Amino acid sequence: MIKIEKRNDVSPSIYFLTPILAIFLTLIGGGIIFYVLGFNPIEALKFFFITPISDLYGFSELLVKATPLCLIAIGLSFCFKSNNWNIGAEGQLIFGGIVGGGVALLFYGHDGFYVLPIIILSGAIGGMIFALIPAVLKTYFNTNEILVSLMLVYVAKLLLDYLVVGPWSNPEGFNFPETRQFSESARMPILFDGLRIHAGIFITLITVFLSWLILYKTYLGFQIKVSGLSLKTAKYAGYKGKTMIILVFMISGACAGLAGVGEITGPIGQLHRNISPDYGFTAIIVAFLGRLNPVGIIFASLVVALTYLGAETAQIFLQVPKYTGQVFQGMILFFLLGSDYLLFFKIKFLVLKKNEL
Amino acid sequence: MNTKLTISNISKIYPGCIANDNVSLEFGSGKIYALLGENGAGKSTLVKILSGVVKPDKGKVFLNNENVKLNSPLDAKKNNIGMVFQHFNLFETLSVFENLSIDSNEKNEELRFLVNEILKKYNFKIDLDIPVLNLSAGQKQKVEIVRCLIRNPKVLIMDEPTSVLTEQETEDLFISLKKFSEEGILIIYITHKLKEVLSLCDEVAVMRKGKVVSVSSTKEEKIESLANKMVGENLGTIKKKINNFKNSEEILKISNLNFRSEDPYETNLVNLNFSLKKGECLGIAGISGNGQSELFQILSGEIITDYASIKFRNKEISKLNPRERREYLMAFSPEDRISQAAVPELKIYENVALNNFKSSNFFEKGLVNEKKIKEHSKKILSNFSVNTDNVEMKSQFLSGGNLQKLIIGRELITSPELLVCFNPTWGLDVGAINYIHETLININEQGKSSILISTDNDELLRLSDRICVIYKGKLSKIMDVNEVTPEKLGILMGGGTID
Repeated sequence: MIKIEKRNDVSPSIYFLTPILAIFLTLIGGGIIFYVLGFNPIEALKFFFITPISDLYGFSELLVKATPLCLIAIGLSFCFKSNNWNIGAEGQLIFGGIVGGGVALLFYGHDGFYVLPIIILSGAIGGMIFALIPAVLKTYFNTNEILVSLMLVYVAKLLLDYLVVGPWSNPEGFNFPETRQFSESARMPILFDGLRIHAGIFITLITVFLSWLILYKTYLGFQIKVSGLSLKTAKYAGYKGKTMIILVFMISGACAGLAGVGEITGPIGQLHRNISPDYGFTAIIVAFLGRLNPVGIIFASLVVALTYLGAETAQIFLQVPKYTGQVFQGMILFFLLGSDYLLFFKIKFLVLKKNEL
Repeated sequence: MNTKLTISNISKIYPGCIANDNVSLEFGSGKIYALLGENGAGKSTLVKILSGVVKPDKGKVFLNNENVKLNSPLDAKKNNIGMVFQHFNLFETLSVFENLSIDSNEKNEELRFLVNEILKKYNFKIDLDIPVLNLSAGQKQKVEIVRCLIRNPKVLIMDEPTSVLTEQETEDLFISLKKFSEEGILIIYITHKLKEVLSLCDEVAVMRKGKVVSVSSTKEEKIESLANKMVGENLGTIKKKINNFKNSEEILKISNLNFRSEDPYETNLVNLNFSLKKGECLGIAGISGNGQSELFQILSGEIITDYASIKFRNKEISKLNPRERREYLMAFSPEDRISQAAVPELKIYENVALNNFKSSNFFEKGLVNEKKIKEHSKKILSNFSVNTDNVEMKSQFLSGGNLQKLIIGRELITSPELLVCFNPTWGLDVGAINYIHETLININEQGKSSILISTDNDELLRLSDRICVIYKGKLSKIMDVNEVTPEKLGILMGGGTID
């Protein structure tokens, strides 16, 4: 008979090491998949994980992808730490992009240092407002925030579709589903000539630092921590539960909105249908892989960003679909959850004596 | 059909608590048996063992003199032991019939025929094709009962079945249960309601602290005798000296407190009125589940009810949350020390920071002042003799007694004018109990007041200056402790009246 028992204490060092184990297992799992597909697993993994970052351009691309992932995941960590399950960061990202993009189009042809900050700010506010919908519905109408936030993703996607096809489409764009290219004043400054890495990375780094400060050094962070561990205790201590739910959703929505506006003013430069390759969903994996810890999330975002790049390289060199990247992301999450289970529970194999059967 | 169910020397030990201590009982068909005891007395564990949900560490169960192995709920079903739990196990969005067919082997038509027969036989009026969520609590319970009856049970166990029923539904249930019993089904009825035991059951077994303390025929019992057996009647030897509070200043006044809950598992409070003098301890007795938890949460501010006036030191505080009430020098020690008063995963000093005042400066300008919190925590650990001085330790490693000392210490170190505590010594060892009792007597001697909500009559008689009883959300009259006897408490706790 198999018996599953909760472990009483889990040492913090192992808790932070299991994500690395999960990544390692993902590599093995990926190698096996490549082998079954008829590739040399070592070679294939090299194409996937080493080739993409073997030059400066590749490394810059890694940071370009990690920038939004890290930003969204940091925001999500506020929600997840306090037991609020915001699954709709993708929608908040898109809505932030829509609002920021709308403002950028409004300032089309304007010059001035103030244009970009206004766009960035409006993107953050857009994401924040979109995240407020599930938060308000949860606090005042007892709805399930998982469902509401998830379904709003499709609302945002369809809204974006409508806008780029209809009212906001480029008048000189031959009916392509895209807006005008934003003016130079509405674009994130590029850090190095010839590379796509842009100033958005500073927004991410500042946000990471501020989040660390809030989560570990402030009363708000303490309240988030207590509410995440025990809502009953939070109530007993007199924390304002509703305010906090709304606050963490606003923070996480703002982060996703910032990520969205960073994408459209950064590498993309306009609004079109696919402004995000599911960054908002992938960031959930990043948040958990990073153990909801700001520093952990930085590393996790780099690892997961690499799966995006690896998928592109593998598509070129191995002719496998780019969805291999999602397979790897899925495997990371699978192995992480699996090792977490074994971390928190131990499995006992009991040998029953005959007379007990 | 004659059924005999024997429980022999069953023991079940959970970490830190003996749920069943060598329990032996015998049941025979044709009678309704009550298993009576307070929350935590071990009834539920015993029932879970009989229904295969929990495996005992020791002991055997015999059905008709045959040793039965109950390793899973499936085994219980195979042995024709049916069980209706307090919380229903029904899929709300599925229809009644779908719920019944989930765990049945019969073909749909046969099952429908069988169910209709049962409904007709016992005069249950339930529409089989509407979703369960449209049913009342009483009807849902009938669905659960039908589910058991499909399998021709020999034994039917009902766990606190009336806690969600109306008076009328309760009567209906009793009629059905008596019918089942006449047909030879052995019925075990779990409850802490004394009146129900006397009106429904033939025999009663009383459990206390994991042990069976008495088995008797209900004809020989009265409400007060059962109440005494349930809560124990050994009086402690230390008693506090009796004070006269006639001329003392009034510190707390509750008037017209009413609370209607939307949760059927909670108790409504009806028109409570009481007041408290400076330095006085008011004891509130009662069998658990009669509104104590709701009253505590209203006093602490976890529940805000619109229908109450709570005046503390002449200020209306009924709309304030717990943190704001603490600013007015109130303190609270809830019943559930592991998942409410403290968080086991947090370090000791973090748990101390839960009781946060403006003047304590734990959080200055929104930032955590770790140094201050740790200093303050060290003071609590030494002043209240908690057996560690390591404030970085996670509180899950504290024993129950030490955790309770930490919580009481955290609440008292700020010298509150009023401490509200709920079962402060529940589950503790004698040493810790004595320490907490002395502490509580001490604060009264220092002129601070306390409200002690407890299900332990010894404790109440030992610590209180005045005592009242809460029964079904209503308070009895308040009596001076020297005019209270365990018998009187027993009558009031069972819903009786005294002059």
